[in-house]
Amino acid sequence: MTYRSKIFRGSLSVLAIGVLLSACSPSNTSTAGPPASQIPERTREQNIELGRKYNSASRLYQALRDEAKGGQPLTATAIPDWSGVYTRPAIKGFTFDPDQPEGGPPTAKLTPEYQKKLEKRINDVKHGIEWDPISTCAPPGMPRWLTEPFLREFIVTPNQTWLMNEMVNDVRRVYTDGREHIPEEDRLPIPDGDSIGFWDGSKLVIHTNQLQSGIYQRSNPDYTDQVETVEIWQKKDDKTMGVDVWVYDPPVLVEAWYVRQNYLKVSDADKSLRIRYWNCGENPNNSVFQTKDGTTQFKNLNFDTKDNKEKGKP
Amino acid sequence: MKRNFIAALMGLGIIVFSTVSALAHHSAAMFDETKTITLTGVVKEWQLTNPHSWLLVAVTEKNGKVTVWGFEAEGPSTLLRAGIKPSDLKAGTKLTISGHPMKDGQKAAIWLSAVRDDGKKLEPRSGFAVK
Repeated sequence: MTYRSKIFRGSLSVLAIGVLLSACSPSNTSTAGPPASQIPERTREQNIELGRKYNSASRLYQALRDEAKGGQPLTATAIPDWSGVYTRPAIKGFTFDPDQPEGGPPTAKLTPEYQKKLEKRINDVKHGIEWDPISTCAPPGMPRWLTEPFLREFIVTPNQTWLMNEMVNDVRRVYTDGREHIPEEDRLPIPDGDSIGFWDGSKLVIHTNQLQSGIYQRSNPDYTDQVETVEIWQKKDDKTMGVDVWVYDPPVLVEAWYVRQNYLKVSDADKSLRIRYWNCGENPNNSVFQTKDGTTQFKNLNFDTKDNKEKGKP
Repeated sequence: MKRNFIAALMGLGIIVFSTVSALAHHSAAMFDETKTITLTGVVKEWQLTNPHSWLLVAVTEKNGKVTVWGFEAEGPSTLLRAGIKPSDLKAGTKLTISGHPMKDGQKAAIWLSAVRDDGKKLEPRSGFAVK
């Protein structure tokens, strides 16, 4: 081998190593990650105003989609890290709007009929009368799903995102593969409805329809099966998932009800935390009925362990 | 005739439906939140169940009679977040426990706090705090 060919081969080796190193270097992967969001951050007041501007959830969703220029498909390298176990802080109880003043009424602007119903519900509670419709083991359903104080996990994939609540093993599937809602003539009211969404950078925008009637939470208003929601989910910081929510429900709400929810990551340093299967009917001592005056009472408490072999045991 | 039979069945269905009970995430309206009782006893059974757990405590009264009280608490994961593990309340564990009793006098209460004989405090509702 001549001196010149040695130099040439050496140069090739250096070049090849350089190419390899360059391919593996962090600077080459720095192009991964979500593109910038087109939907701007808005204050609470601006979001309330945005809800007022559009008279239906589908119109607001379309406006957000236009603002995001249609959004972008989520690629494998841009999947945001939403891992961890989260929960909704219960600092002020379980009101649908965490910004509801303590001891004050819900912040929704209600139609007279539903305002009257709410006042009766609150007055009944003052007199010790309360019945929760999910005492039947029914799932909370959306939008109440947002309020329950149990554990949550958020699983993101390119074409679907699963928003999971420990309570009754509840999973909301959000389709982000470009599909539209089920045709109107084929819709049925179901607890978590039908959710479609798109990604705007690291924000997930969701429209949900096809929901069942329920209550936002105890001592909170009713909603009907005309209720629809628009949500913008995003990770606020390492420990906080935030979501802006607009609820539309013409029979109940005079205008869109805007609320901002936060879910905080639960520490699990020793990795002892588990989400176990939630069997709502496993213990007969939790069996209740609605009394004639409308309140809740146990059906048949039985503390004789010999008769309760089927109950869950440690 | 057939229509009458169906109507009768539907009527029966409504009666059955209206009297059916429910097992679930229920209101606490049956408990008197203005009152708190404190009892000392021994764990008889620890039912770690969703949506509510029940701790059965055998309490010996002054006349020697043993009464079993039920204390209702949150489900297993909330209890775990409160630092209450299944092994913390084995049958036979001595403890002093407080709660809001039932309005109708049944021997049951919402469990607020407990202190085991060895001094360990058990407060189920602290499981809702985010740590």
